[in-house]
Amino acid sequence: MNWSETLQAIFNVTLLASTIRVSISIILAGMGEMITERSGVLNIGVEGTMLMGALAGALGSYFTGNPWIGLLAAGIVGMLVGLLFSFIAISLHSDQSITGLAIYLLCVGLSGYLLQVIFEHGGNSPMVNTLPTLHMKFLENVPVLGPIFNDQSSIAIPVLLIPVILQIVFYRTPWGSWLRAAGENPKALAVVGKNPVKIRYIATLCGSFLAGIGGAYLSISQTSLFSENMVAGRGFIALSAVIFGGVKPGGVFLACIFFGFMDALQKTLQTVIPDTIMPRELFMALPYLLTLFALAGFIKKSGGPADIGNPYLKESR
Amino acid sequence: MHTIRKFFLKRQPVFITVIAVVLAFFVVGIILAATDRNPFNAVYYFVRGAFGNVVNTADTISRVIPLTIAGIAFLVGAQCAVFNVGIEGQLLLGAMASAIVGYVVKLPAYLHLPLMLLSGALVGGLYGLIPAWLKTKRGVNEILSTIMLNYPATYLTHFLVLKVIPIEGVVPATPFIEDTARLPILIEGTQLHAGVFVMILVVIFAYFLLYKTSLGYEMRAVGYNKTAARFHGIPVEKRMNFAFFLSGALAGLAGAVEVAGVHYRFLDQFSPGYGYDSITVALVGLLNPFGVVISATLFGALKTGILEMSVYSGIPRQLTTLINGIVVLFVAAKDILGGGYARIFRGKDTYEAEKEISQ
Repeated sequence: MNWSETLQAIFNVTLLASTIRVSISIILAGMGEMITERSGVLNIGVEGTMLMGALAGALGSYFTGNPWIGLLAAGIVGMLVGLLFSFIAISLHSDQSITGLAIYLLCVGLSGYLLQVIFEHGGNSPMVNTLPTLHMKFLENVPVLGPIFNDQSSIAIPVLLIPVILQIVFYRTPWGSWLRAAGENPKALAVVGKNPVKIRYIATLCGSFLAGIGGAYLSISQTSLFSENMVAGRGFIALSAVIFGGVKPGGVFLACIFFGFMDALQKTLQTVIPDTIMPRELFMALPYLLTLFALAGFIKKSGGPADIGNPYLKESR
Repeated sequence: MHTIRKFFLKRQPVFITVIAVVLAFFVVGIILAATDRNPFNAVYYFVRGAFGNVVNTADTISRVIPLTIAGIAFLVGAQCAVFNVGIEGQLLLGAMASAIVGYVVKLPAYLHLPLMLLSGALVGGLYGLIPAWLKTKRGVNEILSTIMLNYPATYLTHFLVLKVIPIEGVVPATPFIEDTARLPILIEGTQLHAGVFVMILVVIFAYFLLYKTSLGYEMRAVGYNKTAARFHGIPVEKRMNFAFFLSGALAGLAGAVEVAGVHYRFLDQFSPGYGYDSITVALVGLLNPFGVVISATLFGALKTGILEMSVYSGIPRQLTTLINGIVVLFVAAKDILGGGYARIFRGKDTYEAEKEISQ
């Protein structure tokens, strides 16, 4: 293969289609975490929430045969994890970072433990039914867009619309102003009669719901089984995307797509470049390194909410 | 009554932590029972596995060594407001570096062993400087950056043992290190090795550094209140960079000691998550060097106990990570216990008791 052929083998519509495919879970988790962070709560445990979501999705699909029930179960389990986090971080005012870390460890352990207990063998769950893919007739003859968006998971297009919806909710509705106020200045919000604790709870639960779904996307759409630790750092990449995107819908969306593109590129390069020149293990390390590079190149002031990470204490002044 | 109350109030953090850990294990018991596993059975096999005979007890102690050193690694960071969750990666790279020095270099033992351990510490420390730079120069949350850096470290060591360094036998590993780079076994037929002395040195070093030197004082000041430390003229960023380096170096040392004392080579995936356990160990040890030894003993026993447990009672080994998470969760949430605790041990003479504590 000469150079132009090699480049064509790498950069083509298949790469873009696979970018969308791998971005969906990061977008779901990233959007969820963005809602949470906007309300002033930093949930580092999102990786764990995704893992539990992935397990719940696979179990729901396995036991009912219906992947949609799996998806719903994943959202609910995600919210339960979020509730546990919220109770400790918001109601008990514990350190949010340490609580998030504990949630992460808890979910890694619990998902691995339950997998083993339920199926009596480690590593993987059996194959489960997956969400259907969506094939749109009218896109068939459209160049570029057709091959990219056709035959994606049926939740792909709704997920791609989430940033638009959040942009409207954040900046055009009263809920959005309350949410942002809870993250910027919860005391001012309390003065106008809204309860910052309640808003932070709701935001964290919404975020965890999306993270749970994002995890399930991995187990019942991108693949068709749950395997131990299958989220493999995507939750942390989503966290990075939230920082990178300045905690704003558009920015976070682009950051998620960027990280998704890097992951897709890495996977394509693995197949094109022989192992002797650039080994597989180093390719697999790439997404994490690139994410760190992206964060390093980013300016110190992220434009995130002012009160993030701080508990809301009614009594304090 | 007065003295008893004073005793309990003064040691509130210690007792609260103990209660939190006990509650955490209670929850673990409930989870076991809920998933059709007999918790009492589990405890039996756990104790038998951890302390049942000389070999098991010695093995438990040999697990306490890396847990303590790695726990101290997390502690020196956390005392200076640095949450180094990248200990696993630093430990792996340190172990790899020391294994390479151990089998490539030919030296007499009194030079080879220290050189091997130091090279592990150095590589771990240097890897710790990456999140340091990201944090102090770029404002990147170190929990995020250190977790992410664990992945490249894992893949790099995996790559090295699979494709670069010639493999001896079927398991992916480096060649065995020279005899001169090995820590001697203390009790024949067990895994207990002289790394226990390295561990004791590390604990004493951490205690002296943090509580008996001005550098340590400044580090703790940064950990207590960054803004106040800055106003006192303490170079906050410099101290945090140092804490990152030291934390990484101790993590690397923990890996090197494992290579020198247990495996005698870098064995792919040899670490059963020591890096993650170190966080739990340090937090349960109340970020105190001697407390870390006590909690490392608990979690070391857990590591050996769980092996026997998973063989005989069908309880998955993933239980360790689960226990870690629950324990950290309870320790993080222990403040809720504080109120009730204080109420129980406070009486009419609260005022006097509190006055004496504050003196």
